[in-house]
Amino acid sequence: MLECDVAVVGGGTGGYVCAIRAAQLGLKVILVEKDRLGGECLNYGCIPSKSLITISKLYEKTRDAEKFGLKVSGVSIDYDELQRWKAGVVTKLVSGVESLLKGNHVAVVPGQATIAERNRLVVTTGSGKEEIAAKNIVIATGTHPIQIPGVEFDGSVVISSREALELRGAPGDFLIIGGGAIGLEFACMYQKLGSRITIVELMEQLLPGGDPEVVRVVQRKLEERGAKVYLKSKVSSVSKGGTKATVEIETPQGRVSVGADKVLLSVGRAPRVEDLNLSGLGVGTDQRGYVVTDKRMMTSVSGIYAIGDVRGPPLLAHKASKEGIVAAECIAGLPSAADWTVIPETIFTDPEVASAGLTADRAAQAGFQAKSVRFPFAALGRALTAGETEGFVKVVYLPDSGSVLGVQIVGSEASNMISEVALAIEMGATIEDIAQTIHPHPTFPEALMEAAESAAGRPIHQLRL
Amino acid sequence: MVYEFKLPDIGEGVAEAEIIKWMVKEGEKVREDQPLVEVMTDKVNVQIPSPRTGTVSRIAVKEGETAKVGDTIMVIADDGASTPSPASTATTAERAQAPALAPSPATAQAQPQGLASATPATRKLARELGVEITTVVGTGPGGRVTDEDVRAAVSRTAAATQKPTGLPPGRPSTPGKEELVPIHGVRKTIADRMIRSKHTAAHVTHVDEVDVSELVLLREALKSTGEKRGVRLTYLPFIIKAVILALKEYPYVNSSIDEQGANIVLKKYYNIGIATDTEQGLVVPVVKDADRKDVFELAREIEQLAGKARSGQLSLDDVRGSTFTITNVGAIGGIFSTPIINLPEAAILGVHKITRRPVVREDKIEIHDMTYLSLSFDHRILDGAYAARFTSRVIEILQDSKKLLAEVL
Repeated sequence: MLECDVAVVGGGTGGYVCAIRAAQLGLKVILVEKDRLGGECLNYGCIPSKSLITISKLYEKTRDAEKFGLKVSGVSIDYDELQRWKAGVVTKLVSGVESLLKGNHVAVVPGQATIAERNRLVVTTGSGKEEIAAKNIVIATGTHPIQIPGVEFDGSVVISSREALELRGAPGDFLIIGGGAIGLEFACMYQKLGSRITIVELMEQLLPGGDPEVVRVVQRKLEERGAKVYLKSKVSSVSKGGTKATVEIETPQGRVSVGADKVLLSVGRAPRVEDLNLSGLGVGTDQRGYVVTDKRMMTSVSGIYAIGDVRGPPLLAHKASKEGIVAAECIAGLPSAADWTVIPETIFTDPEVASAGLTADRAAQAGFQAKSVRFPFAALGRALTAGETEGFVKVVYLPDSGSVLGVQIVGSEASNMISEVALAIEMGATIEDIAQTIHPHPTFPEALMEAAESAAGRPIHQLRL
Repeated sequence: MVYEFKLPDIGEGVAEAEIIKWMVKEGEKVREDQPLVEVMTDKVNVQIPSPRTGTVSRIAVKEGETAKVGDTIMVIADDGASTPSPASTATTAERAQAPALAPSPATAQAQPQGLASATPATRKLARELGVEITTVVGTGPGGRVTDEDVRAAVSRTAAATQKPTGLPPGRPSTPGKEELVPIHGVRKTIADRMIRSKHTAAHVTHVDEVDVSELVLLREALKSTGEKRGVRLTYLPFIIKAVILALKEYPYVNSSIDEQGANIVLKKYYNIGIATDTEQGLVVPVVKDADRKDVFELAREIEQLAGKARSGQLSLDDVRGSTFTITNVGAIGGIFSTPIINLPEAAILGVHKITRRPVVREDKIEIHDMTYLSLSFDHRILDGAYAARFTSRVIEILQDSKKLLAEVL
């Protein structure tokens, strides 16, 4: 029987960060991982997808380079080489996690964990069973993609995001079920690599919950490149014939039948809790099965904590790792808590989408008398010099106090601009604070300052309406 | 999912508490951190905030009854999915402990979801010091809670928990003979400010007497002019004038310590706060740029501000920005008082009743109009000698009617 102060179940961005922080605080830590350290983000999500997205962007830029006077010929993609490079990036990061865990004296036990009792884990390893007596347990098992009736993963035609990252070529006709963040990132990426894209979304807009003006920019760009978008629609069946599929779609205009070489099912994710024995332990979950905790990440069972995706949306690596730190610190007796105001979000579509805080709609729903202003990238020097003029920065604020409630950005550098917003909101900055702060020229973040100037009623590079 | 809310361990070895007042009814919706119930222990009264968002399905202990720590006092039904399921008693107690120690969270401005109550570093400080930040009234920009506010809340908590048990509890032990008056509104603000001042400034009070015989004559002479101009001329405008003359010579009395505690800010403007008694309690309207106004203008402005104060019509601007405060209890009585400094100012001057009493002048006993001045000053900024010299200078000016006359008109 192994013994420890903290057993972390799941070595993803939540789990490994939690393990390291707990070890730093002098606790004896065991990390149980059934697959690969780094979890979904490093192995099957953020990292490999961003590798491919970067190359797909470069590929498209190169083909369009002539308009900038850049003559390039014979551009083609060697998918084997691309995959090797991507795998190399992943391996490098995963081995980085391994050495960090080792350097912090975290013991890693490979295998599938079940929580037998409040303080005891049973891990099914390759060679049998291992028992761990743990004073505290942290559940960090994440989520897995869900299926819909009539559409099941087969790994070749109907695929999940995992397989979509391993393709050795762009599918000719690529149908994507689910127009959320994952679906749209793949749509934009494979569209640039040459796929004809069809997107089927159940709700009335892509990226449900996102600011409609922002979503419109992304959808317009997809459609300009030839994508077909079906909103308020659902797939009723996928019939496979050899390496192709015929997809029946129920749209508000009636039934449509679409042929596809690949079908990506990205309609959502569900908590990975089946093997944990949560009900046996009395660990509370919500209707969707996500583990419920307090602000200190403790579940309804004292000594059992949960962090990251398994706690529920937003399913984001950076949320998971912060929660991991909170759990580790609380276990160590520090007064830590999840008390952040915003969790920024980035979506690597083209153009990119990033958001922190409330959208105008959400602010209104929350009862704020908020106003919003936009500053378009088309009016920004750096955007023009980069040939990336689509999109805007939208600032949602309270006119009386100037408090910033939220910022949504759609544009090529959105992901790199949102951290400033998160800091601003956490610090309680007003639009005047942002407007008075010198932003270097020429850069994309100037757009935030310009939007703040607009909110303050004195835009320089925008005519007052 | 239902959540049984058990009486948390309030600390200080308290084993049971009496339920004084339920702030919610059965069937009512509650938000997390909303004040739920006021309980009284033998040491202190506390309000306990709700640990959950949901609907009150049952209140298990009635007002006036006593519950032991760990007893279920109410049941909350979860509305949504995102609130935790039944927690162990350990977590409940821990969660409720910090808020329970902060007195009267009811009047704190709860920051709406979506806006930060404080910077992340301040929030961390609050957690480390065991302060429930949502119960702290912020004095920072936009009502944000500053590090100083958090530390002040700790001092308040300490003051509350150190209250000797021999003092009468806030709740009548014999109903009918005592009355319960909740501390809120102006009273709450006064309470917070006063204790904060006492905990922040190093208070010293210097008292001296002043012969105002000439001032009495001077005011008498100018009274009719005042009446012609439609103002009732009191002694206060003269005192303000004398004080400002002295402030100009002793600039550190007209100063404050900046937020970081790194600098003394010498103020080259003279906004005089006038402590004013109202039905709701003490308020301090401010006469702006008092150095540029003559005694009649001062008298008129003080009258207007006092009127607004009594009818509750003071604007935020009327009560902000004072650089020095004067409190006049002379009309009521007393020999002298030891006023509490109006933070962040460096000093406050108490002026008192004018009485005719015997004094020795050139070895003869004469009857003069006399009063006492008491200057409470912050010893962090001013030393005793400096404060005494300032006071002496005020006295000198008040006793010199010629100088005063030249100055007041």
